Amino acid sequence: MSLLHATWLPAIRTPSSSGQPALLVWADTWRVATPEGPGLTPALHPFTLSHNDLRAWLGERDLLPGSCIDATACLTLPSRTVKPRKTRSKTAEPAPEPPAWTGLPMQAGEPVPKQTEWWPWQVQGLAVDPAGSTDWLSRLPLSGRNSDLADELRWWSHLQRWALSLVARGRWIPQMELSKGEGYPHRARWMPLLNREEDRRRLEDLAASLPLVATCALPWREPLGRRSNRTTRLRPEAMRAANPVASCRPRSGRLRVAALLEDLVDAQLRKDFQPSGEGLDPLLTLWQDALGSETGVIEIGDEDAERLAAASHHWREGIAGDFASARTCLTLNTPPEGEELWELRFGLQAEADPSLKLPAAAAWAAGADALQLGEIRVEQPGEVLLEGMGRALSVFPAIERGLESATPETMQLTPAEAFVLVRTATRQLRDAGVGVELPSSLSGGLASRLGLAIKAELPERSSGFTLGESLDWTWDLMIGGVTLTLRELERLSGKRSPLVRHKGAWIELRPNDLKNAERFCSSKPELSLDDALRLTGTEGELLMRLPVHKFDAGPRLQSVLEQYHQQKAPDPLPAPEGFRGQLRPYQERGLGWLAFLHRFDQGACLADDMGLGKTIQLLAFLQHLKAEQELKRPVLLVAPTSVLTNWRREAEAFTPELGVREHYGPRRPSTPVELKKALKDVDLVLTSYGLLQRDSELLESQDWQGVVIDEAQAIKNPGAKQSQAARDLARASRSKSNRFRIALTGTPVENRVSELWALMDFLNPKVLGEEDFFRQRYRMPIERYGDMSSLRDLKGRVGPFILRRLKTDKTIISDLPEKVELSEWVGLSKEQKSLYSKTVEDTLDAIARAPRGQRHGQVLALLMRLKQICNHPALALSEGAVDKSFLSRSAKLQRLEEILDEVIEAGDRALLFTQFAEWGHLLKAWMQQRWKAEVPFLHGGTRKSERQAMVDRFQEDPRGPQLFLLSLKAGGVGLNLTRASHVFHIDRWWNPAVENQATDRAYRIGQTNRVMVHKFITSGSVEEKIDRMIREKSRLAEDVIGSGEDWLGSLAGDQLRDLLALEDT
Amino acid sequence: MTISSSNLTPLSEDGLGQQPWWVEQWMELINGYRFKKRLERAWGYAREGHVTSIRFEGRRVHARVQGTDETPYKVKLWLDVLNDEDWGYVLEALAQKARWSAQLLAGIMPADIERAFAASGKRLFPFKLQEVRSECTCPDKANPCKHISAVYFLMGDRFSEDPFVLFQLRGRNRARLLEDLAEYRRKALANLAKKTKSKKIDNPSDESAPLPPHAAVQDPALWWRYNRNLDGDLVVITPALEGDTGLDDAGELPLAEDPRFPDARNSFLGNLKAHGQASAQKAMLQAMAAGS
Repeated sequence: MSLLHATWLPAIRTPSSSGQPALLVWADTWRVATPEGPGLTPALHPFTLSHNDLRAWLGERDLLPGSCIDATACLTLPSRTVKPRKTRSKTAEPAPEPPAWTGLPMQAGEPVPKQTEWWPWQVQGLAVDPAGSTDWLSRLPLSGRNSDLADELRWWSHLQRWALSLVARGRWIPQMELSKGEGYPHRARWMPLLNREEDRRRLEDLAASLPLVATCALPWREPLGRRSNRTTRLRPEAMRAANPVASCRPRSGRLRVAALLEDLVDAQLRKDFQPSGEGLDPLLTLWQDALGSETGVIEIGDEDAERLAAASHHWREGIAGDFASARTCLTLNTPPEGEELWELRFGLQAEADPSLKLPAAAAWAAGADALQLGEIRVEQPGEVLLEGMGRALSVFPAIERGLESATPETMQLTPAEAFVLVRTATRQLRDAGVGVELPSSLSGGLASRLGLAIKAELPERSSGFTLGESLDWTWDLMIGGVTLTLRELERLSGKRSPLVRHKGAWIELRPNDLKNAERFCSSKPELSLDDALRLTGTEGELLMRLPVHKFDAGPRLQSVLEQYHQQKAPDPLPAPEGFRGQLRPYQERGLGWLAFLHRFDQGACLADDMGLGKTIQLLAFLQHLKAEQELKRPVLLVAPTSVLTNWRREAEAFTPELGVREHYGPRRPSTPVELKKALKDVDLVLTSYGLLQRDSELLESQDWQGVVIDEAQAIKNPGAKQSQAARDLARASRSKSNRFRIALTGTPVENRVSELWALMDFLNPKVLGEEDFFRQRYRMPIERYGDMSSLRDLKGRVGPFILRRLKTDKTIISDLPEKVELSEWVGLSKEQKSLYSKTVEDTLDAIARAPRGQRHGQVLALLMRLKQICNHPALALSEGAVDKSFLSRSAKLQRLEEILDEVIEAGDRALLFTQFAEWGHLLKAWMQQRWKAEVPFLHGGTRKSERQAMVDRFQEDPRGPQLFLLSLKAGGVGLNLTRASHVFHIDRWWNPAVENQATDRAYRIGQTNRVMVHKFITSGSVEEKIDRMIREKSRLAEDVIGSGEDWLGSLAGDQLRDLLALEDT
Repeated sequence: MTISSSNLTPLSEDGLGQQPWWVEQWMELINGYRFKKRLERAWGYAREGHVTSIRFEGRRVHARVQGTDETPYKVKLWLDVLNDEDWGYVLEALAQKARWSAQLLAGIMPADIERAFAASGKRLFPFKLQEVRSECTCPDKANPCKHISAVYFLMGDRFSEDPFVLFQLRGRNRARLLEDLAEYRRKALANLAKKTKSKKIDNPSDESAPLPPHAAVQDPALWWRYNRNLDGDLVVITPALEGDTGLDDAGELPLAEDPRFPDARNSFLGNLKAHGQASAQKAMLQAMAAGS
């Protein structure tokens, strides 16, 4: 797979060209390459897509820039040293001198070698002019990972968004840029203004996070005087001179990023500027025309140019200074006890890290030397400090008094001046590029507003399980970190001074504070457990319009809160009586968590990673209810058809005491009365999403104790009928007592914002409000723009109801064996079933009549055919094409699709083994259609060189295929495929040793993850019976392992029928 | 007849607001001149566009004025230059007050700058118009002739483009002045340190220490890595509040007016503002469509 990159090409401004900067869009891809070294000029990057391929690739993805030209650039890239392969050259021609160094450029995501070198590479790409770049960059996604787009494209899209924001806020000013030297043109430029606090901070952020690939280019220069189509024949010296083999040093910095931003803002404003020239004098006309021209070049005498430059510079200087690495910083200190005057200290502060500060004295003492602020170097610190003072003076005139001496370090402010500084001047100073540090109790934000400090605890005799119950609580008013009583507030308000001192801290009172406090006190408020959960959930929550600054919970309440907000692992609950099996420690905690939310009557979503045993945890929970005699009515479980079998099998195995019934198939009850009768003594009813929708009225007629949805992503689309039906069922009004709601899913549900609403509406409808509100408040800001504050708020709200553990979590890893075997029980589709039965009947008769010598072969052939039917009817019928109904014809394939979806979503890699090469080809074709990605298939017919390429690519390519199909015989031995963390045995081999050998392709030295081994078993079929025999280690099984499939041939007729016939399950 | 400064100052005639104090001072200087009649004629002359160019070249002002003759007359204006000794006094005085350096560095002409010059017994601004030396190639024997006077009028406006021009006319350009000033400040500081001797602050900077290698040298993956989310402030892109754009902050374009085009700056700013609003609209639309 190719990965798209973007790198800025700086303008080449030569006397003959008015060179514009450009964005180089290029892509690299994985392929086998021979190491290269620079010759006279940098070597050609061996992994980049050619111009034509790139155009086609971009076209497919609708990413082709509106106008662009083929271009080449020299990019400095980290490279790995690779020795060239020895070539035996027996020709008479003397071999060209080998390069001093050979290697390959590294690609994003590739493991970093011990030693990295930096070399320039010639990279082909498409050059987009600045105006085109602004359009193109605006189209890129602002958030989320995209497998086609390198991370740095997100950086670019953020930079472009900033440029848009600057244009929208009008933060720019036209400038005149003087020629850089003899023969260079003067230019008219649109310059962004970065004086505002937020913009300065953003510049630092983007400079600190700059992916260097964005700025690592030098344009490829074609020596002058030659036509471009003849460059290949240029004299080597000319090429060398124009494109020396030199690397640009890795460095970042605000100046680079600011220059990029300038180019983008300039392009954005330039492209549509078509002003009228009416009434302008000649000089302004020239300037204005140049501001609207493509290149900005202005034909003007040096004298006029200098005049314009001085005037425009002076114009800009009034608002914004240059980008020094430090800024002047004013620190306000509160008056000492008993005194009136405040102290303002002068100093310097690093732009990149405002916590790095030095007092003015250090700047004065530095003289002409540079000053070191941590790692940041400040040139001419005295000048920087003074310039900032000059700016500060025009915003906050009071400091004039402090600047009468030659080297001022501090000054005093009257209370009135201090108030002006706190209230208004601080913001203006920051916008002028001067830092201001206020005492913490006055530094703005919510904490400096009047709010509450609450102490609460569960009442003595409470169990803490009813949301509405009142807590024992006390409260204080709190402001700026100190508490005060209403009386104290009255006294302080009476002082008529906005800055007052209380308990040693200075606080700012606002006009309405007293009124709000009085209203709160007179209302005698109560605090419920529900309030406590809400107030401690997300920040900035209000209680009767007052912010809650502090919430102290007593030990018992604290324990409930922590568990609720998942600040600590849930208290474990041991496996209940009657549960046949062992729970791993994290499963006990999962069970405890389900029980915890159940007591609060809150819906719960168990979203553990695949393979961690969600089924077992839910069964244990139901058994827990049963053991506690709380399971009085049946529970309805809805799951995709493909896993119904699995559920029944697991329930039989782990919770035999539960009465389980499937509501499925043509013979299912069709009236409420029948259904009620059928549900006598039944604890768990299994049904499919399809029937949930079709039988919705019937199902709603029953008094369910709870509703569980498995593979809950099935209800992600709020408008779909099955999701509507699930939500209706969750809150049926007929029942007097509440139904519990549980959802199970293996997908990272909390990251799929669009799917959260329907899920929460099923679990706990009030949490996210109406769908429209949800879309406006959360979905749009998060999905489109990656808004983190909305996402944090959303997670705070839904967090208590979702428990997701990953295989990779530290606490889980210690509980898990390194290899986890999972049996995937699947059924058969209608077509499969009839084909299977027919095949068995027809063939068994034939075998019974066949002469003894031929029976053996015939039995084996039958066995193969049955296994093929379990895979897919198309395989048994030797069909070669994948059509629309392909998926629906095989129950196994449907289940496989569901699991692979999760694997791909999680970014994991999987090996898939089959013993049928034809099945492999069909699967490959289907999977490539399904996931629109390449799926390699290694089988007996694969050439040796191709095998190695497939394996290398799977192991090495950072964006290599996630799925790898192998035939059991060809791929089962010898290969090292440790990048996979899932192994699928799609069909069964009779000999577990062979399967284990295949599994060990992934599970071997070098594997750093847990390996999940999925074994598909078609229930009722020969697959299940063989599996059972292997597991029960019967004598028969030993025969099986010992002698391959030979024993089958000698089975007597009835034994054979028992083994092969489809059992009705 | 008296001429008030209000109808003499081209800018105030346009109602474009407050002038920087040094421009006003210049106008007062002209206004204080005895031969009002001649000045009045000169203003009309300037307004009609007879002054075709004014340029500051080193310590002199060169101008061309189109008179009755076919070729324009050449006008030269200059002030007495301060010698190095005088500048020494001025700089020493300037270095005494941090505010003066602060304002000059921030591009602001301190209103009390003459107090620093007083230390040398000289002035930055000429006290009388007679201190402004001038020459004109016209046949008129009188000085200032009509042509010189016309240049006077336009000069004040040119001061607003770059206040440091005044320093230049007195012998130091901006860069030189700021450099010298820094030098004097350091000297003053050294003297101070000698006197007190106690206050010694270690300068933690070490000239010889090489810059630490960039983080990407240790971790080449940084070449590509970017895992930040969009800044919360950029999620919704909003327009400027009324009167809060950069152009609003910057105010008047400090470019001297060409008297023949009295509305030029207004039109220019108007064009820019209109373009700003249209671009802001477009940028917001573009931002809204992003990521969809």
